[in-house]
Amino acid sequence: MKELAGRLTALDPDAGAAVRVIAYFDRLAESRAGLEALVRGAAVLAGCPARLVDPERRVHVRVETDGTRRDTGTPPDPAWPAVRLGPDGTGMLWLERGGDGAGPAGSVSGPAGVAPGGGGDAEHGGPAVTVLDSRPAPAAAPGQVPVQPIPSVVDAVILERAAGAVRLVLDRTRGRAPAHDPALVETLLDATAPEPARLHAARRLGLDPTAPARALAPLNGRPRVIPDAPEAGSGNRLPPSASLQETEGTDRAPANVSADRPELPGPPLTAGRLGVGSAVPVLELPRSWAEARTALRFTAEGTPWDPGPRAVYADELGGVSLLADLVLPGSEPPPDVRALETAAASAPWLPVTLHAITYTSSLRAAAAEINVHHSTLQERLAHAEHLLGWPIRTPQGRLRLHLALTMRRLARP
Amino acid sequence: MTHVPPPFDPELAAALELIKDMISPGLTLDEIAEVRQGPGIRMLAELDLTMGGTFEVEDRRVPGPEGAPDISLLICRPAAPETPGPRPVIYHVHGGGMVIGNNRVGVDVPLAWAQALDAIVVSVEYRLAPEHPHPAPVEDVYAGLLWTADHAAELGADPERIVVAGASAGGGLCAALALLTRDRKGPQPIGQVLMCPMLDDRNDSPSTYQMAGLGVWDRTANETGWTALLGSRRGGPDVPAYAAPARAEDLTGLPPAFLDVGSAETFRDEVVAYASRIWQAGGVAELHVWPGGFHGFDGFAPQAALSQAARAAHLTWLRRLLGV
Repeated sequence: MKELAGRLTALDPDAGAAVRVIAYFDRLAESRAGLEALVRGAAVLAGCPARLVDPERRVHVRVETDGTRRDTGTPPDPAWPAVRLGPDGTGMLWLERGGDGAGPAGSVSGPAGVAPGGGGDAEHGGPAVTVLDSRPAPAAAPGQVPVQPIPSVVDAVILERAAGAVRLVLDRTRGRAPAHDPALVETLLDATAPEPARLHAARRLGLDPTAPARALAPLNGRPRVIPDAPEAGSGNRLPPSASLQETEGTDRAPANVSADRPELPGPPLTAGRLGVGSAVPVLELPRSWAEARTALRFTAEGTPWDPGPRAVYADELGGVSLLADLVLPGSEPPPDVRALETAAASAPWLPVTLHAITYTSSLRAAAAEINVHHSTLQERLAHAEHLLGWPIRTPQGRLRLHLALTMRRLARP
Repeated sequence: MTHVPPPFDPELAAALELIKDMISPGLTLDEIAEVRQGPGIRMLAELDLTMGGTFEVEDRRVPGPEGAPDISLLICRPAAPETPGPRPVIYHVHGGGMVIGNNRVGVDVPLAWAQALDAIVVSVEYRLAPEHPHPAPVEDVYAGLLWTADHAAELGADPERIVVAGASAGGGLCAALALLTRDRKGPQPIGQVLMCPMLDDRNDSPSTYQMAGLGVWDRTANETGWTALLGSRRGGPDVPAYAAPARAEDLTGLPPAFLDVGSAETFRDEVVAYASRIWQAGGVAELHVWPGGFHGFDGFAPQAALSQAARAAHLTWLRRLLGV
């Protein structure tokens, strides 16, 4: 009495098959089957590989028609039938049918799926593959941009039922909103919390406990933690610090960071100052958090009055970070900072101009950066030297200026 | 005693949903003819026996038991052998409760092994009960084995490396075959693969009661199969071991056995008992009880995780046995 269940569904595509698909996934959900079993069900019933990816929850499951798990880093084809797991989540379930000019996979079999004497699946050595429906995708009219083919009735039912069951499993096992729970982040950043509790929090947040992560300290908002290691092939990398070194001349705000990296868990970061801790093992995140808070003090608003980077990476500060312990927030500013404030009060162009010459490699570049003529810049600098009382066009003077600008940020209340 | 059954594995429970309209757990004598013609068996026979050109396939009529009709052997040999010299043989006996099936049924399983092992598959057609009660089926199976061993050279086969293998009734017949060849000093298989084998006509173990009405082969179907084979002798005192190997008193001197069975099926307890008795007799056996497996689960739902594990276990055992 050995038979092949999958092929039985091939006898009646559409309505009868849809009923079986529903019963199949209902039964899997009832017995609390895991994600791989659900994705395998989709692959076996559809007769093509199925793929579940939820970057937010770090889920990646791909199963082939013979039931074997075979994950891949290749990007999904936009032509594949797919369903989104939630209205605002990043999770997707695909049936890898057609696309890539390979033609619809279903075309290997007739509409009835199995004909006497044929229909076996030579590739996998057994008639174990079900083709529930094999109608070819509608072809695009000449001259038209091909649109995503409308999935067949059975494909649509498979996607809908599988996604429903996947949602339940994800909510049950990974938490409904993995990165939104401030208590978990708090535990993770608390050096006094027991290590098992911190590891548990990391997992609940969707972090790989073996991979490095960074703590983020936004000026306005709760602490955040983001994974540092890119997922293989996903193309999501922490952007280089340069893209965060905002100056008043650009319109890129740190808010764009989240758009660059769809894997970033939680709500998008709002525009504003951001300190970034160094990438560390998850158990050392309390240190990364302390660094991030320090880095935040080196950030600027990016305004004419307070020009400078809105996001600062702790691991790029080097010895400059030592200043943070010397100049405390709200303390009496050092004389050079007081001189700066006085000068800025009488010359509104001064902060931006002085920032430009400390952040560029030449006066010519500084002039271009703030959109003034080279001679105008020279005039401004002469005036600034007069107001400040020290030269700023010598290397020593530029260092003194750079320190003054930095201490100005650190002394902010 | 509780009759609460162990739960089916989640994926297998879902697979049962797909086949429940086609295959019901019970089978009665008057349904046999219908099932023989049914789509289930028909589909099983619709198989590319060459496995995409790997095998040369031949149907051979060979002599049956003395005074009985010829039997048919399905012979699948590698079309392009990887190694020279005689090859191992998987001698396959199909399942079907002693009452249904043909030598194509389930042969995809040994063909997949043979593909991996560079072996030959011989699948025997035997007469079915109730038209042909015991000993017709097992004698046909024995006659096919005799012919295969005698004609090994012609097949490019190694007569010293014949493994008998079967599922369900086929597994029971293989166990009986191992007893017969031992007692008759016939060709000695080097191993027996007994997949969810049907071994005990008494049909009275706890698992037969637990699984009543569930899965694909329950105690009603089991009674039907054994009654077809044995008539009124079923369950009585004089059932020969060659009909129901669980009846054998002596399990010494048998080839190494691989046995497996699902925890959620009628045959669970008789298979576990048979393996235990082989060990008690000083024999060699490997036993797997797959949790939540129903009868023949890896054939019905080969893609399921549990089926993949079971099939991997079959192949690794064969590799160890054959040293390939």
